Amino acid sequence: MSRMRSRGLLMSAAAGLLALSACSYAETVVPKPKETTSTAPAAATCKTTAADLRSYDPNRSGGPAVSRIRKAGVLKIGVSADTLLLGARNPSTNKIEGFDIDIALRIASELGVKPQLRVINAADRIPLLQSHAIDIVVRNMTINCARWEQIAFSAEYYHAGQKVMLRSDLAATYQGPQSLAHVKVCAPAGTTSIDNIRKIEKDAEAETADTHTGCLVKFQQGQVDAITGDDTVLAGLVAQDHIYAAVPEQKALTDEPYGVGVNAGDKDLVAFVNAVLQQMRSDGSWQKSYDKWLRPSLKVDPATFQPQYGRP
Amino acid sequence: MSQTAAAPQAASPPPTPAAALAPAPAPAPSYVDTPALLNRWQLIGMSVAIVFGILSALVQFSSWNADGRAADDTDQLVRIQNIQSSLFRADALATNAFLVGGLENTEQRGEYNREIKSVLSNIAAAANAQPADSHVLADLNKLVDDYTTSIAQARAINRQGFPVGAAYQTLASNKLRTEGVPMLTALVKANTDRADSAMGGQHPFWLLFIGIAALVGLFWLNRELGRAFRRRINKGLAFAAIVVLVVTLVSVAGAWIRASANDSLRSGKFHDAVASATARTAANDAKANESLRLIKRGSGAQNEADWGKDAALVEKNAPSRYLSDWHVYTAQHAQIVKLDDGNNWDGAVALATKVDKNDAFAKFDAHLAAEVDQARTSAIDDLESGRWLAVTLSALTLLLGVAAAIGVARGIGERRREFS
Repeated sequence: MSRMRSRGLLMSAAAGLLALSACSYAETVVPKPKETTSTAPAAATCKTTAADLRSYDPNRSGGPAVSRIRKAGVLKIGVSADTLLLGARNPSTNKIEGFDIDIALRIASELGVKPQLRVINAADRIPLLQSHAIDIVVRNMTINCARWEQIAFSAEYYHAGQKVMLRSDLAATYQGPQSLAHVKVCAPAGTTSIDNIRKIEKDAEAETADTHTGCLVKFQQGQVDAITGDDTVLAGLVAQDHIYAAVPEQKALTDEPYGVGVNAGDKDLVAFVNAVLQQMRSDGSWQKSYDKWLRPSLKVDPATFQPQYGRP
Repeated sequence: MSQTAAAPQAASPPPTPAAALAPAPAPAPSYVDTPALLNRWQLIGMSVAIVFGILSALVQFSSWNADGRAADDTDQLVRIQNIQSSLFRADALATNAFLVGGLENTEQRGEYNREIKSVLSNIAAAANAQPADSHVLADLNKLVDDYTTSIAQARAINRQGFPVGAAYQTLASNKLRTEGVPMLTALVKANTDRADSAMGGQHPFWLLFIGIAALVGLFWLNRELGRAFRRRINKGLAFAAIVVLVVTLVSVAGAWIRASANDSLRSGKFHDAVASATARTAANDAKANESLRLIKRGSGAQNEADWGKDAALVEKNAPSRYLSDWHVYTAQHAQIVKLDDGNNWDGAVALATKVDKNDAFAKFDAHLAAEVDQARTSAIDDLESGRWLAVTLSALTLLLGVAAAIGVARGIGERRREFS
């Protein structure tokens, strides 16, 4: 008995130590990331009317804001660098160029200062203007009543409208937003574009990205089937993927009157910008810029619009 | 030794068969069965010696094994950190090439390819070396595949002049940081903990405890034998006790020396290897953040903040003898920031993308890469070099345990012969 007990003890000790010396590694585990929630844009508390398109009367005489900029010798302009045709970096020259950029550079030139282009996201536009980190925004920015409560706008300088870009096979049968049931539609986070579609077709599946170009990446990777946004923006996206993407003939879902964004207190600067825009239309440089950037892709004459002034 | 022959007092005559066949239970006999007692003592004594030999040998074998694992874990840790450094170096090169505009520098492109090749071969080697890392490494491999695909797509689209190329570039860099960094951090932490724990695998106190327990057992046995046979010391037991004592002293001293050496290694070469690798990773992340800041043209405040965090890590971890090169680079970075903030973006980009054979950043990176390699090799050599002692002592302990058991058997056998 004692021999058996001793042998048992010996074997358990040996087994224990063998287990101790054996390689038993716990598997490497990556901690799960914290979930981030995106916030939907707050619903507008006002309804945009024709009166909201009124800006301050054109005036080149300037004031405190114009003096401040001339003194600094630089006009800080918020622009896009990835919206082909409106404001995009040319990879071969590293320059940012497009229809919006032509307007921005002309304003700086008329002020007699150097332009400083700062690339910003759509969500940055109002906070950066309010903090005076930038002087103006020329970044396909729509004039509306809610924004007028936070900043000031120039008179309308381009009239765009919200449309839908689709995979070319879906574009061939597109009848309108009602064709988007169970179709994944992408729009930049923080915009209301998807809501405009869902008002008509509630089964459209919403996807978001940081920018419209981010949506195009998702489109090219097969994660979404359609992108919605301004016709000008969509034209730039189609130009980058013209075999697989198309904007079918359609009625614009919304009106998107573009204006130059300015800090609410810089009324003299708004008046100066309006004077420059007026001059661009009269001397043909606006048309020249449209013909260079937008006409080849949109293939139509620009939508007619009449700049409105007289804001007190 | 006092072993004069004397008749054992405990011996009594064996019971008669008649007594054994008695119908009524008889009271317990008052004699002691000496041969059986001697057998039991012999078994106990031999077991003590053998168990001592096995346990002590196993503890030493486990220490030998732990040092081997510490070397392997250190190797794996540095391998993971090299993956991390190479990945950020590749990203720094890709973002820098993107910034240049127009045709990219072929030398930098070649370097990018070499870094990616190094990342992929290190991932394969790491998965082979440590199965516990293989799931995370498989995910990392997929991520690197996605990263290189996005970078290739960004290059191809850039060459067509479309801005969506920039989106692929940003997507790749962001994904590397949001998904790749947590994986690499988890791998570095797991392997640091493993190496650290394996370096603490020397157990001098266990060896001491086993030795003392064996000596107490042999002492008790000698006392029992002494009482029964009126001898103070049994030669065989004394031999076994001396063997146990010597083996215990030598193995405890060996384990203690290795434990001290491992402690020095932990705060010395191992620490140097980990610190230099951390500095190299942070330096390359800083360089990539510098390019990303410029790519974002005025909206790269977060990248500048990240650059600051990286720079602090470099200052904290890089060997001071290489910091002069780093400071040349930080002065250049300050100039880049000044130019960018002063509305001279083109000047900032020209300075950031200048290809110079005497580039301080490239020199700093090369020095750190060599430092990591040297500290790693040195730490592993140190861990490997002392292992022969533990494994030799382990085998010797087992043999000496057997020898001690034979000593016990002979010592008690002598008493048995006296008795018979």
